[in-house]
Amino acid sequence: MTLIILSILSIIILFLSLRKDGIILKKKKGENQGFSFSKYAWSQFKKNKIALISLYVLALMVIVAIFAPQIANDKPLYAVYKGKTIYPALHDLPFGKGEAKYEISEEEIIEFNNMTSFDWRTLKYESVIWPLITYSPKTQDPYNRDYKSPNSSQKYMDHNGKETESPFKFRHHLGTDLLGRDLASGLIHGTRTALKVGIISMGIASLFGILLGALAGFFGDRRLKMKRSKYYFSFLGIFLGLFYAWRPYEITMGLNKGINSGLLEMSISLLILISIFISLRILSKKLPGKFFNKEISVPVDSFVSRGIELLNSIPRILLIITVTAVQKEPSLNVVMVIIGLTSWTGIARFTRAELLRIRNLEYISASNALGFSSIRTIFKHALPNALAPVFVSIAFGIASAILIESSLSFLGIGVPADEVTWGGLLNLGRLYHEAWWLIIYPGIAIFITITVYNMIAEAARDALDPKLKS
Amino acid sequence: MLKYILKRILTFIPMLLAISLISFIISIAAPGDPVERMTKSDQEGGADASAGSNAEEKERVRKQLGLHLPIFYFSVSNYAIPDTLYKIDKKERENIEGLIHQFGNWKAIEKYYKSLKKGLSEHYEMKPQDLLLDDSLSEETIRSEWNNIAAALTSLLQESNVDIVSQNYKVIESTLNNNHFSHLSNVFREIKNNKLYMENNSERWKLYVPDIKFYGADNQYHVWIFGNGRDRHGIIRGDFGRSYNDKQEIKDKIWERIGISFLLSILSIFIAYLISIPIGIYSAYKKDSFADRGMSLLLFILYSLPSFFIGTLLLLWFANTENFYWFPESGIENAVTVDPNWKWWEWEAIKHRAPYLVLPLFTYTYGSFAFLSRIMRIGMIDVIAQDYIRTARAKGLSENKVILKHALRNSLLPIITVFAAVFPMAVGGSVIIEVIFSIPGMGSEIFIAITNQDYPMIISFFTLAGLLTMIGYLVSDILYALVDPRISYK
Repeated sequence: MTLIILSILSIIILFLSLRKDGIILKKKKGENQGFSFSKYAWSQFKKNKIALISLYVLALMVIVAIFAPQIANDKPLYAVYKGKTIYPALHDLPFGKGEAKYEISEEEIIEFNNMTSFDWRTLKYESVIWPLITYSPKTQDPYNRDYKSPNSSQKYMDHNGKETESPFKFRHHLGTDLLGRDLASGLIHGTRTALKVGIISMGIASLFGILLGALAGFFGDRRLKMKRSKYYFSFLGIFLGLFYAWRPYEITMGLNKGINSGLLEMSISLLILISIFISLRILSKKLPGKFFNKEISVPVDSFVSRGIELLNSIPRILLIITVTAVQKEPSLNVVMVIIGLTSWTGIARFTRAELLRIRNLEYISASNALGFSSIRTIFKHALPNALAPVFVSIAFGIASAILIESSLSFLGIGVPADEVTWGGLLNLGRLYHEAWWLIIYPGIAIFITITVYNMIAEAARDALDPKLKS
Repeated sequence: MLKYILKRILTFIPMLLAISLISFIISIAAPGDPVERMTKSDQEGGADASAGSNAEEKERVRKQLGLHLPIFYFSVSNYAIPDTLYKIDKKERENIEGLIHQFGNWKAIEKYYKSLKKGLSEHYEMKPQDLLLDDSLSEETIRSEWNNIAAALTSLLQESNVDIVSQNYKVIESTLNNNHFSHLSNVFREIKNNKLYMENNSERWKLYVPDIKFYGADNQYHVWIFGNGRDRHGIIRGDFGRSYNDKQEIKDKIWERIGISFLLSILSIFIAYLISIPIGIYSAYKKDSFADRGMSLLLFILYSLPSFFIGTLLLLWFANTENFYWFPESGIENAVTVDPNWKWWEWEAIKHRAPYLVLPLFTYTYGSFAFLSRIMRIGMIDVIAQDYIRTARAKGLSENKVILKHALRNSLLPIITVFAAVFPMAVGGSVIIEVIFSIPGMGSEIFIAITNQDYPMIISFFTLAGLLTMIGYLVSDILYALVDPRISYK
């Protein structure tokens, strides 16, 4: 749940940053056609042909990821079977949940979900449209087991129940693995995992990085002043709030009953946390005396910088491996969260450096003079100006997140075995060296994705670098 | 200068503490009961070890691992949780904690817990063969019923799930109805009374009072770091404890393996510097030429290629009997032809092992060399644009002198900072490369430890790698300060 919210937030942030940098050009009719930095940056970016191609490749990959079940599926997209028109593949994501029931006639009912395997090739259709790749990534093809190479002879079961040589559309174009799973389909569905990991983990990282970096850069060690009572009561509030909101017993009991009561208990905890914090804040305002009402500065920058230093001095891959090894059951979500929580430091450093520069500009003084609150000044005026270099760092970060995830799934650590990932496919090839297709194609897929992100980041950096402006 | 270095070393110490705390927290959070893991293989040795002596054995292992101590110097909890809770076994402790959260009345819970323990020990004292007084029931029934009661009592100690608890009570009650287990009826009545008392006298208000308890230096963390002066020496003296797997000292295992990993990373860093500095200089000097563009693209591609892909590809092409069998595919030596009397520096030994190291070293090096060249190029371009280079040229110095003497020194600065970044890359990246090429180093050891869930090994490796990385940062910062006099700590 929180993951979904986080990812949506991160996408919004990413989109905003993209728009501000002019990467996504929005044409408004009747807009003043004057010079703007975003337009300039976009025109610079467009000059770099490789980067532009990378952008198109990325867009293509996003489309492939979204419509993966319709591009590679063992069910037909459209078929007329015994006079009935059916659309089995459209019941998979993103259109449906992967379950459906077709009542063809009195005695013949086709019922399928994600668990059952049913060979749709054995039916005789009046007319049919198959997906581009006619296999699902997890379907084990019994006729093409034991590492069938892309150009070897491949068999399939036709509608007469006879095992015959596969026609072009039923071939495994990139070969199969030991269990007869189709590699091309695995690659297409693996795009999902790769992009998801990149976006969600970097979404988490940019949420933390931009927020902490902005606060550290804008306030520094001296600029954030608050009453001593408020400062100390905030710490007290965090302690007491966590103490009373930490109800592991109630939450596990709730989760045992069902997801809804678990969520209810969690939201009660959150409510307790917030209400304690707020009531302590109110209390702190009422405190009398000179001591409590003295204004002191909060060393925000020191807190954030020490945190960054600490996280940087831990070898990241090893931290991720250790934490994923310690969890009870491997889960992709945990891997994404850990990658996100360990890779915000670069983003925070860039944001901090930018805001250190921006906070001394005249328009920030003007915004202060107009009496805007600090929060408004930071998020509405200072931060949008700082996001250009941050975007570059996010794009590089996505590339490295994808690399880390594929390394982990290559080693088989942390990522569950039934998840289709490029790294996992490559690992299958390591076990059996004759299956070169299992090594080359996933490797190329990983390489292309990482290169695309790196190229975009590199070109964006060049386009956004004011030094090159002349 | 000296002040800077001193201050830098001073900030090193809290970082060390933080690393140790993080790895300690991870080790506490590791799933499973360490005592069970350590006693498991012993049980397989003597299959018929009776349950009573098993409990004693567990207690002994708990003492040996130091798990009978409190976890940290202090603990923050609520008033209902007693300060001696850590003494209870991990599995039972979770259940007791659940009970405390339900009723908050520690005295009653303790009474209930003790009566359960008493019941279990009384039950273990009476062996099934002693119960065969009359012949109405067969030995097997008695034995299975005896086992059922033992299982139910143990489960009562460990399970907090309401359904399972009531199920256990039903099992015990129904078995007690036939008179064989009359010795238990008194204790069972006591257990039931205690449970009723506990449920009726809950003091939940205690749960809402915060409480900080201090335990002093005799705790798990302290013993883990500094040792206890008897059998444990602490990690500061190199005692990392024992592996779950083969019960060997982790220190010895690491010493056995660290040499080859260290050799690989040092060699690869050396080679990477050796290649990347000239390339960086050249492409910066000939900026925007065809050679520079081509080189940049090549380096970029190399930089984006995942090392596990390249490693597997190299194995596929150059260590495969079907393609080119130029290099051996795994390990660092041939078990048949290797001579154990060779010292590692002898020419014969180096000649024997060199072919094994070619592919891993290439895989190891190419990524960091691409990375370093790019940094070198950027740094050099920055320096060449500076005024003093123009001055040097205006003085009429030769191009060679300008580039290699004036520009090179300053452009080496960013590369020194990168030295620290290469270090964690060497430690972390080595897992993948050592697994691919089956090199018996630290990386493959950590991989084995992870697949076997050998937590002490994982934690030790993590702590050690964190330490090494921080030393790398320290050294590079000090080097940087030595090379660049403008640096000062503020």
